[in-house]
Amino acid sequence: MALSNEAYEALQAIVGERNVTRDPAILDGYALQMLVELVRPNCGHYMPRAGAIVMPGSTEEVQAIVKAANKYNFGVKPHGTGWYHWASPMYDPGTRYGDEKDTVQLDMRRMNSIEIDEKNGIAIVGPYVIHAQLHAEAIKRGWSCNIIGAGSSCSVVAAACAYSGIGAGTMWMGGNAENVLGMEWVTPSGEIVRNGSLGSGDGWFCGEGPGPSVRGIMRGTLGSRGGMGVYTKCAVRLAHWPGSTDWNVQGTVPAYRLPLDKTFRVYTVAVPTWDAWTDLYYKIYDNEIGYTLHRQYNLAGAELAPAFWLMYTDPTKQLSDLPAMLDEPGMAELTEEMRISLQIVMAGRSEADAELQDKVLDKILEEVGGWKVEKYCTQDMAEFTNMYMNRLGHKEINYVYAGNYIGSWMQAGTPDWVKGYIPVAAAGYERDYRNGLLVQAGGDSMMGTVGAYPGGGIMGLEQFVSYDGADHESTAAAWYHMDDAVEDAKTINYPPGKEALYIEMRYTDEQAFDKWSKSKQPWTYVFQREIRKRYDPNYVGDRQYNWIPEEWERGEKHASTPIMPGPGRPQPAPEGYPTI
Amino acid sequence: MEDMKQDLIGIVGADNVLDDPVITEAYAKDESFVLSIKPKMVVRPGGEAEVQALVAWANKTATPLVPVSSGVPHFYGDTVPSVPGAVIVDLSRMTRILRVDRRNRMVVVEPGVTYAQLQPELAKEGMRITPPLYPRANKSVVGSLLERQPTLITRYNYSLPEPLRNCGVIWGSGQRFFTGDAGWGPADLEAQWASGGRQVDPKGPAQTDFYRLLTGAEGSYGIVTWASVKCELLAEPRKLLFVTAPKLDDLVDLTYRVVRIRVADEIFVVNGAYLAALVGKDAADVAALSLSLPAWTLVMGVGGRALFPEDRMAVAEKDIADAVAASGKQLLQAIPGLATSRVEAAVFGEYDGAATADGAAHWKLRAKGGVADILFHTPLDKAAGYLATMQDAAVAHKYPVGDIGVYLQPQHQGVAYHMEFSLPYAKDDKAEAAKARALYSAASKKLIDDGAYFSRPYGEWADPVYNRDAAGRDALRTVKKIVDPNNVLNPSKLCF
Ligand SMILES: Cc1cc2nc3c(=O)[nH]c(=O)nc-3n(C[C@H](O)[C@H](O)[C@H](O)COP(=O)(O)OP(=O)(O)OC[C@H]3O[C@@H](n4cnc5c(N)ncnc54)[C@H](O)[C@@H]3O)c2cc1C
Repeated sequence: MALSNEAYEALQAIVGERNVTRDPAILDGYALQMLVELVRPNCGHYMPRAGAIVMPGSTEEVQAIVKAANKYNFGVKPHGTGWYHWASPMYDPGTRYGDEKDTVQLDMRRMNSIEIDEKNGIAIVGPYVIHAQLHAEAIKRGWSCNIIGAGSSCSVVAAACAYSGIGAGTMWMGGNAENVLGMEWVTPSGEIVRNGSLGSGDGWFCGEGPGPSVRGIMRGTLGSRGGMGVYTKCAVRLAHWPGSTDWNVQGTVPAYRLPLDKTFRVYTVAVPTWDAWTDLYYKIYDNEIGYTLHRQYNLAGAELAPAFWLMYTDPTKQLSDLPAMLDEPGMAELTEEMRISLQIVMAGRSEADAELQDKVLDKILEEVGGWKVEKYCTQDMAEFTNMYMNRLGHKEINYVYAGNYIGSWMQAGTPDWVKGYIPVAAAGYERDYRNGLLVQAGGDSMMGTVGAYPGGGIMGLEQFVSYDGADHESTAAAWYHMDDAVEDAKTINYPPGKEALYIEMRYTDEQAFDKWSKSKQPWTYVFQREIRKRYDPNYVGDRQYNWIPEEWERGEKHASTPIMPGPGRPQPAPEGYPTI
Repeated sequence: MEDMKQDLIGIVGADNVLDDPVITEAYAKDESFVLSIKPKMVVRPGGEAEVQALVAWANKTATPLVPVSSGVPHFYGDTVPSVPGAVIVDLSRMTRILRVDRRNRMVVVEPGVTYAQLQPELAKEGMRITPPLYPRANKSVVGSLLERQPTLITRYNYSLPEPLRNCGVIWGSGQRFFTGDAGWGPADLEAQWASGGRQVDPKGPAQTDFYRLLTGAEGSYGIVTWASVKCELLAEPRKLLFVTAPKLDDLVDLTYRVVRIRVADEIFVVNGAYLAALVGKDAADVAALSLSLPAWTLVMGVGGRALFPEDRMAVAEKDIADAVAASGKQLLQAIPGLATSRVEAAVFGEYDGAATADGAAHWKLRAKGGVADILFHTPLDKAAGYLATMQDAAVAHKYPVGDIGVYLQPQHQGVAYHMEFSLPYAKDDKAEAAKARALYSAASKKLIDDGAYFSRPYGEWADPVYNRDAAGRDALRTVKKIVDPNNVLNPSKLCF
């Protein structure tokens, strides 16, 4: 059902005429999303068009919008900075379970307050506050915050309450999931639920209880990705920043440098084998060293990354210089030297602590047969890495080669377990890029966290696959790379990775119910259905809060429509086709 | 009654169905002030299948079940039935340590596994789990974690329920389920281990943190039949350091600083009365120490682990010394008038081995035989205000202010502090017990009204606390209807 004039007027009455629109050009501006050509019919670049865009200014306005959604039968989908297609309305006609309805997109940009409780290390933020803003405010006060790997221009609330929350700082600082304290949740039924001490009116400092934690239904492995109400505020725990509170940033855009404080050490370290790599991780965990850690630079691909970052940090060079740089003397050796490497920023709470961490790292490297990559540990590169890892302001790099990227694999688990899929992921990528339709960056373009959970122990590696979204054949290659990664995982008995989550975007609700009802422990989705019944009886949200209806639970119903057809597989590479 | 007994014998065997009045009487009360209600029977299941059968039987017969994992003494009334006709499900026979994994520092245990059983096993692998303050030897590890008892090393407390990770649960509906990353795989631990699953990530599955729903639930949502727990490396060498002060306020800034830079292992603040109870050998000793110990002590553990442990401890000690000096205080290697070994026994001892099997000699009961604990969460800067509230209430009730034990434990990296007031009283002296009880009720009420956050609202705190948050209470009831529609698990304990 298209959004009625009556509904539109109701929205105008709530937020004021200035803050709502259904101008088709603006609607399409919101619907144009990165990465969507791999999940949309005919590899289209647009998510379904919203019925209107609304910019609420307060929790009360959000609540009123949601109540109107129930009254006038439209869906509601909140949007942080909109970095991902999850933030867009997701239903084409005929793909939603139950009533057809238009979805109204909430753009939260007017709700951007930051409050910092300096003493207790707590920040209370509105949904449009991005990590970079919070981080800048926190650093001034001697605090820092976890910044998600997606980059510091993403919303803190989206990462803490609605999506994932993992980044280079997670091992030491905690992920946004662990750090979130109070959450203010406007449910799709129009109620306001607050968890922990906040719910009791006692402040924003404790997320658990009273009694069982209501927080348990507010977010899990992921949040509900806008499919189950709107988070209008949250508090996150900050982490001690042992460095200078006045950042003396140097250099030119985009490769800014942050000089190292006396208590800081910044290295790129490498190991000879994947076995040594897992040992390195376990030893880092046991020794509790490191402030921010990530296998960051390898997102540019093992064959290209060493030259790429030297290009990036050289103001006289640009991407087109990369091929020539690859041929420079010593580059092949450097590429081998840092083939299995990661970046580590160590921040001592004192100089003695920094020295000790240095000594510990050296000893670990000795034990695992690893080394520091000298060319990447010069003062200049260390200052670049220091800035990069601590602010994560370079998210455009994901798209640098060809305009688009897709992450495959990224199953999180223990390092030993993750090691098990690395060769398969690398071989699959090499196979899929052989015909030149995907960027040939080296079979291992895997980047990822050292600790996907604070304290370490869990991590994951994501294969960065670059493609050209404006080129149909390249898009088709990326489309099938995702399908193939799912099959590749099956060959080694691994569950599917991140790509499976994307592929779900091609499904109708009913097809998703088919999938979830066949999962190993489908009761999860039964539980969430019952929660949905209580908090979203009119299905104002969407299935990003996963659930299955009763008919699927009982096995009585299955999807009738076929899964979205693909663009057709591109020609495979001829035998012996050269790579790179 | 006979039918019931036969049913239960059919599930757990004759040896594990107990209806001797002496035994049922023992489960009818604890050290708290909750109303004494006698259970009908006590059953002791030997494994998950028996637990599941018991829950199915309870649904069929509409019998309330009260799960218990630890041995006596219990302090908060959570294991005393709130309704008549209940059957106690005593999980203390489920004592298997299912898996110890040094490389991933994980252990998987059944609910009957105690600190006394587990820590020595982990020590063989150079590990331990961060304990709460001096748990009794028969305290269930799973029970303690589900209660969200505060643990001693806040820098490892990245999320309040840490180090609890995954749980296997039989919900009140009888549904069997695994939480966390174990929830994505088959509900079969052996199969998960064989394919490399290690039950490490507590989150999920999907959009729900099921394990958080189980914490603080007092067994009213589900019965946990196993849990995976994150271990830490055992510190060797290790030592304690102290800073004493006449007033709590004097220690606040320093505590903020030390917690923030994450230099200490164990870290907490106690007053003299609490410390005396913790280390005192008997009533007379506690009384004497109470008078002689410093008014307030910040206790900090430093230790070495992994590579260069000695250097690590030395650097930590130096960093603490610098922080203490900067605050104008003095760092002590010992508390005046107290042998450090006695504090070490309580802090590093992993569990209170001296407590007798019947619980009578629990350290909290040594002073006077009875104790009433008031516990809540607060940011550190509000702690002194709540202390004043407590002391005012004590004066008004003519309770000796000097007897009030105070314990402040930073949690979740220091954003929240567990604050505990311990009110010892002579249990056998009716008048004194009544006075303690009146104080306990009045002070609790005043503290709740003043914004002290009672995150674990036991006993009489339940109503006023849940009533402060109607939307939260409603959410908890919603969950209850899903996971335990017939309300068979520990009914009338929380807000349902
Ligand atoms: C290239 C790339 C790399 C990424 N890497 C990481 C990573 O390393 N770590 C990580 O944690 N994540 C990562 N992500 C995912 C990322 O976390 C989310 O995309 C993130 O939340 C983006 O922030 P945003 O402000 O743009 O959110 P949006 O894209 O606007 O929103 C993200 C989701 O949250 C929902 N949402 C937003 N605001 C609210 C609200 N107020 N209430 C309810 N729901 C809301 C949206 O509907 C949407 O489903 C990555 C994404 C991309 C595209």
